[in-house]
Amino acid sequence: MSREIEASRYRANDGVEYLRVGMAEVEGVVEDMTKAGTRLADLFGSMEDEELVIRLVYGREPEPSYAVVQWPVRGGGYPPLSEVAPAAFVEECEIYEQFGLKCSGAKGLNRLVVPPHAAPDFPRLAHRPGRQAPPPHAPHYVTGEAIEFPVGPVRGVGQESLYMGLVTSGEELIDLYLMVWHKHRGIERRLQQLRPQQALFLVERAEGLSAVGNSWAFCRAVESITDVMVPEAVERTRAVALEFERIYNHAASLAALCQATSLTVGQAQAEVALEELLRLNAAAFGHRYLFGVLAPGGVTRGPDVGVIRERFTMAVDELRRVAAALRSTNSFMDRVEVCGVVSIDDARRLGLVGPVARGSGQDLDTRRDHPYGAYRDCRVEVPVRTAGDCLARMEVILAEVETSAALVTELVQAGLRAGSVDLPPAAGAALGWCESPRGESLVWVSLDREGRIRRARLRPASARNWRAFDDAARSRNVFTDIPIIEASFWLTVAGFAR
Amino acid sequence: MQSLFGRSLHIRTIDTGSCAVCESEIRLLAAPHYDLHRLGFFFTPSPRHADLLLVTGPAVRAFDQAVKKTYLAMPEPKIVVAVGACPLGGVYSEDAFVHGSLEEVLPVDVFIPGCPPSPLALLQGLLVAVGRLAEKVDALSFVDDEAGTGEW
Amino acid sequence: MAVWFLRGLRRGVITTRYPKAIDSWTASLPTPPAFDARRLTPAVADRLVDVCPSGALIRDYEWLVLDLGACTACGRCIAVSRGVARSSGAFELSTTERGRLIKRIRLRDDVR
Repeated sequence: MSREIEASRYRANDGVEYLRVGMAEVEGVVEDMTKAGTRLADLFGSMEDEELVIRLVYGREPEPSYAVVQWPVRGGGYPPLSEVAPAAFVEECEIYEQFGLKCSGAKGLNRLVVPPHAAPDFPRLAHRPGRQAPPPHAPHYVTGEAIEFPVGPVRGVGQESLYMGLVTSGEELIDLYLMVWHKHRGIERRLQQLRPQQALFLVERAEGLSAVGNSWAFCRAVESITDVMVPEAVERTRAVALEFERIYNHAASLAALCQATSLTVGQAQAEVALEELLRLNAAAFGHRYLFGVLAPGGVTRGPDVGVIRERFTMAVDELRRVAAALRSTNSFMDRVEVCGVVSIDDARRLGLVGPVARGSGQDLDTRRDHPYGAYRDCRVEVPVRTAGDCLARMEVILAEVETSAALVTELVQAGLRAGSVDLPPAAGAALGWCESPRGESLVWVSLDREGRIRRARLRPASARNWRAFDDAARSRNVFTDIPIIEASFWLTVAGFAR
Repeated sequence: MQSLFGRSLHIRTIDTGSCAVCESEIRLLAAPHYDLHRLGFFFTPSPRHADLLLVTGPAVRAFDQAVKKTYLAMPEPKIVVAVGACPLGGVYSEDAFVHGSLEEVLPVDVFIPGCPPSPLALLQGLLVAVGRLAEKVDALSFVDDEAGTGEW
Repeated sequence: MAVWFLRGLRRGVITTRYPKAIDSWTASLPTPPAFDARRLTPAVADRLVDVCPSGALIRDYEWLVLDLGACTACGRCIAVSRGVARSSGAFELSTTERGRLIKRIRLRDDVR
């Protein structure tokens, strides 16, 4: 690494290291990082003083730090990062859609959130349409023996809208691609100019099933800009809310797995457990899906410790019994085994997070690797499996339920309380992170001098993990395996499309 | 409505940009705690068999065509139910991405407020939709003690 | 399969009796606000309107307009009202007329 890059390093008080580099050095830095095995966690653009700045976020596990590499784009284009780090491809497409900037090289890009029939003035974060724009996205052909079989965007009862193009030669699945622009609500754009307190409302609703995870990451970013310390008992309350969220999501994933394998009775039992957990959420925190619990600077609602003490173990026991019954049901186990395999290599290459990554041998968990809040004082066991199939993911989530249950008991013992600290007005930018039920959630926030959001980048775990879905679906599977794989990934389209 | 749908009604759902939580509550309607089948409601995978359309989300513009096709595919008579604060205009204001209100896209017959509406609120909405339960919101007061004699 | 059958038997009936009876757990659901008319002054109303993230509270001269359809029951108005607003407990709000979800509440112009 050159001397200038070394000179531009500085470590912010939140433990994030910032590297400012020039256009010429980007490729070298990315190559070095990739060779060293550093995990590319995110890549995004941001307009700052009429100039596009691109940032790469690296997780440097096992070292407890993130590195943010940033460079201003001058002239057109930037080096094709996805050739070195394949995890960057989805974000390269995103930067092209949102900022009209393509990496050099003639690689075709995929469509993300801009619909095919969008008018040229379709709003973006900053777009300067060229005079003669080439077709924006890679052409898509299916030839030979295969046909394309469209599923969606309107899907089964109680499922999110998602268009899946299944490329098949009959029964076997050859390829699969996803379209999520039906659900793009422009949340990142909407967040601009809002105050953090107002913005939280939308951050929670970007992905309702990870409301606590994403909003905690957001709150952490804001608190690190404003230099606010949240009292320990309040941080513990946040952690309890997060573990509640994790447990109910895992129960929901189990119910979805049963549904996908047509084990109706198992589904009903898992849903009983899920409903009990949601009622416990409402009783303890005042909302079934834990909306409005966190606020920048603290916790606004709950918790009712008596209710947690009285009912938590019972609710989790319910889930445990369902899991035990599932394990002894051969027809179920046969369906999830060797289904939807994500190889260890793919999981690393694509930068996956959460239970999907942990089922494929990636030993990652921000609660342990980048301890924050109450997790600084807790020991977090991270279950890892290496098979990479639906069964491995299921075993990971079941083990995580145990970890979460133990954490809740420990945190409640240490004492909880609600309360919040007022945020002083402050300008600046910071990264926030949190281990949501689906994995590492990252939020990058930049506030202007009046304390309004200049740019908020939300990167829920769903935005990360969908990119492995096609690989998983392709691995020697047939049509009917797709719902099983989807249930075991347990991602949301809402979080991906935002 | 009651004579037509009072005993059996088939429901189709569609998501126009929700945050996935309303979907979760809708799925739970079929779970043992709520068991909507006991009330004669059934989910159906095809709009062509559906009498009632449950719509969540703020009506994303890019989704217009799919919503309209689904609606047109349903046989007459049909009921449209807007589920949650999003299609009622509470979460997203109108902009280039979303209509912000389902009424811009479809004729809405029943509104179910809530973020998300709990499964019981959904059940009430369904029963109101088929005329088996009288709605209550008209009689509800959101002011305490207008005469100065309340508990405040 | 026997394991599932026995589990079901042991549990008994858990299905709600709604609409015949309302479950007690619904008391912990978030619900839209209700207001104490005696203390709802223009100044208080403005504070509530200001904090509402969903545009469900609007000030219309001497009225406070509450749109139950847009309300997400987030509780922000209750938190800043210093007791003027409380949770109404009403969750059965479904209606066939959008207009019925809009409640107008008269503000009082003096504080006794």
